[in-house]
Amino acid sequence: MSVTYLGVRHHSPACARLVARTIERLRPAHVLVEGPADLDGRLDELLLGHEPPVAVFSHYRDDERSATSWTPLCAYSPEWIALTRGRAAGAEVRFIDLPAWHPAFAGRANRYADAELRYAEATARLRHRFGVDSTDALWDRMIETDPDAPDLAERLEAYFDAIRGDTEADPSDRAREAYMAEWIRAALAAAGDRPVLVVTGGFHRPALRRLVETGGGGARDRDAAARGGARAGVEAAGPDTDAGAGTDAEAGEAGTGAGAAVVAAAEARPGPGAGAAAEARPGAGAGGAGRGAAVWPAVPAPPEGALSGSFLVPYSFRQLDSFAGYESGMPSPAYHQWLWEDGPEAAGRRLVRTVAGRLRNRGHPVSTAALVAAGASAAALAALRGHPVPGRLDLLDSLAGALVTEALDEPLPWTRRGPLRAGSHPAVVEMVAACCGDRVGRLHPDTPVPPLVHDVAGRLAALGLDGTAPVTLRLTAPDGLERSRVLHRLRVLGVPGYERTAGPADGTDPVVEERWEPRPGAGREAALVEAGAYGARLDDAALVALGDRARAAADDCGALAAVLFDTVVCGATHLAGPLVTRLRAGLASASAPGPLGSALATALGLWRHDRVYGVARDPLLAAAVDTAVTRLLWLVEGTAPGGRGPSGGPDRTRLRALVAVRDALLHAAPLLSVSREAAADVFRRVAADPAAAPDLRGAAFGLVRVLSHPPRPGAGAEPGVADAVRAVAAPAVLGDWLAGLFAVAREELADGDGHTGDGRAGEGHAGDGGTGAGGGTLVGVLDELVVAMSGTDFLIALPALREAFAWFPPVERERIAARLIERRGLRGSARALLRTTADPLDLARARTLEDHVSRTLDGLGLGAAG
Amino acid sequence: MTAVDPAGAGPDGSARDRLQRPPAEIRYAEELAALRASDTDPRPPGWQLSLRAARRFVVGDEERGVSRKFVGDTALVERALVALATNRGLMLVGEPGTAKSLLSELIAAAVAGDSTLVVQGGAATTEDHIKYSWNYALLVSEGPSERALVPAPMLKGMAEGRLVRFEEITRCPLEVQDSLLSLLSERVLAVPELDGPAGMVFARQGFNVIATANTRDRGVNEMSAALKRRFTFETVFPIPDLDTELALVEAESTALLRRSGVPVAPDRDVLTVLVTVFRELRSGTTGDGASADRLSSVMSTAEAVSVAHAVGVRGWFLRGGPGDAADLVTCLAGTAAKDSPEDLARLRRYLEQRAASRGGAPWKALHAARHLLAG
Repeated sequence: MSVTYLGVRHHSPACARLVARTIERLRPAHVLVEGPADLDGRLDELLLGHEPPVAVFSHYRDDERSATSWTPLCAYSPEWIALTRGRAAGAEVRFIDLPAWHPAFAGRANRYADAELRYAEATARLRHRFGVDSTDALWDRMIETDPDAPDLAERLEAYFDAIRGDTEADPSDRAREAYMAEWIRAALAAAGDRPVLVVTGGFHRPALRRLVETGGGGARDRDAAARGGARAGVEAAGPDTDAGAGTDAEAGEAGTGAGAAVVAAAEARPGPGAGAAAEARPGAGAGGAGRGAAVWPAVPAPPEGALSGSFLVPYSFRQLDSFAGYESGMPSPAYHQWLWEDGPEAAGRRLVRTVAGRLRNRGHPVSTAALVAAGASAAALAALRGHPVPGRLDLLDSLAGALVTEALDEPLPWTRRGPLRAGSHPAVVEMVAACCGDRVGRLHPDTPVPPLVHDVAGRLAALGLDGTAPVTLRLTAPDGLERSRVLHRLRVLGVPGYERTAGPADGTDPVVEERWEPRPGAGREAALVEAGAYGARLDDAALVALGDRARAAADDCGALAAVLFDTVVCGATHLAGPLVTRLRAGLASASAPGPLGSALATALGLWRHDRVYGVARDPLLAAAVDTAVTRLLWLVEGTAPGGRGPSGGPDRTRLRALVAVRDALLHAAPLLSVSREAAADVFRRVAADPAAAPDLRGAAFGLVRVLSHPPRPGAGAEPGVADAVRAVAAPAVLGDWLAGLFAVAREELADGDGHTGDGRAGEGHAGDGGTGAGGGTLVGVLDELVVAMSGTDFLIALPALREAFAWFPPVERERIAARLIERRGLRGSARALLRTTADPLDLARARTLEDHVSRTLDGLGLGAAG
Repeated sequence: MTAVDPAGAGPDGSARDRLQRPPAEIRYAEELAALRASDTDPRPPGWQLSLRAARRFVVGDEERGVSRKFVGDTALVERALVALATNRGLMLVGEPGTAKSLLSELIAAAVAGDSTLVVQGGAATTEDHIKYSWNYALLVSEGPSERALVPAPMLKGMAEGRLVRFEEITRCPLEVQDSLLSLLSERVLAVPELDGPAGMVFARQGFNVIATANTRDRGVNEMSAALKRRFTFETVFPIPDLDTELALVEAESTALLRRSGVPVAPDRDVLTVLVTVFRELRSGTTGDGASADRLSSVMSTAEAVSVAHAVGVRGWFLRGGPGDAADLVTCLAGTAAKDSPEDLARLRRYLEQRAASRGGAPWKALHAARHLLAG
């Protein structure tokens, strides 16, 4: 009885080679692999003969949380090699880790992320000791550049022992390790005196060995493992379960759709005694050896009422490379594929060739001299770093040195973890792309289709949508809304043939009818299979696709608003957990107030008034409103570009954004993390800032009055509007300032004027307190200022003034005209005053021309007086 | 070789203390000597240390008692050393205050044992400062002769096989920069006034150039493509993580304060706030991902150290304690805003809106002190 523990790094070709060599040498009876144990009954499905990369996609949903995660496998994954070569060598192969839905994996999207990265302190210690910047550099140095070293296993052991050291793993990892240890013990018992090989992440290896040797990880740890509602006492998957049967079965429980049936072909039977060992027969091993009376650990079943499942999807190098932060594993899949296929020298040559080819195709000059220099420095770097042949980082470093002859705006991406940042040098971008590659995996044709396909078919049938005839849906009718949602979800998933030809364009569109004209699109089935990677149910899948779009939209508010509205029409707002985070992040870094304001207005409108989609008071919208308001306040106080200066005229989109902020502050205050007082403070500063754009200052002045109405006790009186207007009376700024003011505070000013006695004809400048304190009413002061303007000044001020008064509806404009007539003690029709015989701007132009002519005549001594 | 071996014949400790800032080869003479003694790896021709020993000198090695002198990417140091070893010039570019000059000095000390052959680039730099000029009294009395020749760093470096540091190369006019072209490609400097073999100075093994340039000067005197080709560019970035930068600022400012006669150490919370503010105004993003404004003035680690120093000095000499948030705000105006009203406005907005939304007493104190921002 012997057990060999191979601690590997996921997606490491060197480790994959070691696994292959070890299987060859040991000829083990059992190969135990870190991977979802609920898949053990379906290993045949995994080994049908797919072209990697493929991934096991797992999804889970209960009342509290929903999660999706991937277990990616490529040709050089040690796990993949353990499965395929182990099976070929006649061993019984098994996954031994907790299922993906288990709470131990909460918040993790990639099962094969580097575990050690979650323990930053441990890796930092190691990096420090070896004087390298990144774990990848250290890994290359110790392992990857010398994959055939005879002492590779010892090196791996030393590497992971140093990382694990005495680090206390978190409860999730401890639960997983306790569970894996149970399987190892069972395999040992079953194997008799034949060898057992255990292939897990190197981080877990020391703990597993300890647990198996000391017999730890018993019931207490297992209880921890089963925390979160997992019930033990479940009969594990039997070998006679047909691999495809799980997907075909109809889900009975809770009527939740076909996806439920894929629960790893493990029939959940909640037993009375948690932790009771259940009998299970070994999986369908090819050799069928060692089939003793072994007691295998129970595979935890998801809690009752929860929906979960796993199925295979094609995967791609791009997806493999895109995991960021602690989710990442080994970067540069294409390079590692070459490394796996041809060894380090050939892989290095191929990398340089690919990079040079890509750059030359893009018209980037790559001289032979530069490649020679790169070759020399790669060799020198490898020697300096102690690599027998240049490794990935040596090659990339030397290529960057030879091909980049200017300052970089962003650090070289391989020196730190995380996705490629915007602003990276184009040559560097090509290098990273060359290392990533574009290989896409392919599933064997016999692979069962993902449950999404069944789910969609079921839903369409239930709603009477056969996907061929045009339909017109009334959104106000419940069944119309339900059907609209299903069609929208299909549209969002990019399934061809579902097109809407008419319907509301955004949240403020008063249209309640939609017309869809589905066509029997080519590739509809294929697109659904592909979309199966997003989720098992249509609503989940649509949500994940929307999340991807939100991530791609980054800080583009228009795109984010579209995602938000699509979430609303898909009826998925209540599910949108991660989407909220992404939307918030996008909105929080938006840079243009205009589009952000229109997104805010739409979200606020839906939040306050929606009766069609059922999203009034929705938390997703509330989050968007809050983020947008906070961001707009920040932008407003900055030196935001656009519409600045006297010549630019008022910026209408920015003013509309401020109107939206006002509405949010007045009508949705409980949603906001910024208080009304703090917002008023921001606007007070902007109003007093002489460098700010005049329209912004006017709007800020108005907002201060709106927001401090009713006035706070003890607060000083706000400056009078008349004084403020006099301070901005320069013809070039007056109109802009007023446009801002009228945009946000028109009603307040109208009211204010009403009770300051403007109604008493001709007494506007009497200065009788109220808003007009210290110098008359607004209309009165404006009248004074405009009358006092010279002809030229008036012509300068006119366009912006007209734009300012355009914020008043015609009725209010008429009232203002009436006041002006009254002020002069005249009688007449206010309406007539507003109706000029021609376009006022034409009149103004005529007057300019006349002025010019008479000035010219005067200059030549031919004036009228002459 | 006429270069003085600073490790062997360097001034004694007391003389070293009298210097305001001794060069790296004197400051770290013992470390260099120890590294040289234990260095068994092959050395590139003309080098004083092997590549590995040179790397160890710059990035440190605790086990061998070598201190860490440059807090930055090790890979960058490796690439820089390899560039020099493969006889390409090394160009260190980056924002001001990212320790480019320090790195160039350390590398010169390690590779050539001497970091004092320096050309300081500037608008007034001429070819004379780079190649050679004449002792005019001798020139008039004897005519052009080797005795009358006054070698500038480049001629010295070539003749003696030493490393030449060219600081702020992009501050020089283009035609002056281009005088390096033939030196770097032909590795020969012609002195047409002298006859015979003295008229051609061939570079000896060990000669190379480390230039530094400031990205803020980009576009002022854009280097010619021909010259760029002769250099390997390495961009030096600000320290990527908060903890490292904080530790560096704490260590440096504590040392500076001690020298200024301030016995109390800077307050850790104030330093954390200071370094965070610097990082956020430098990168234009806050810790929670929201974008802030990048300031146009330099927010480097070096500036952070000097602000921390000023804060400590204010705190001690005005109140007899460590500097607090109010001192920080007062000192920030001078560093962060300098003479730019836009930067001052950005800083004010940052203090008003960002500091307020942070949790924790130090941030609250910073927000409360915002009105002290002058201007």
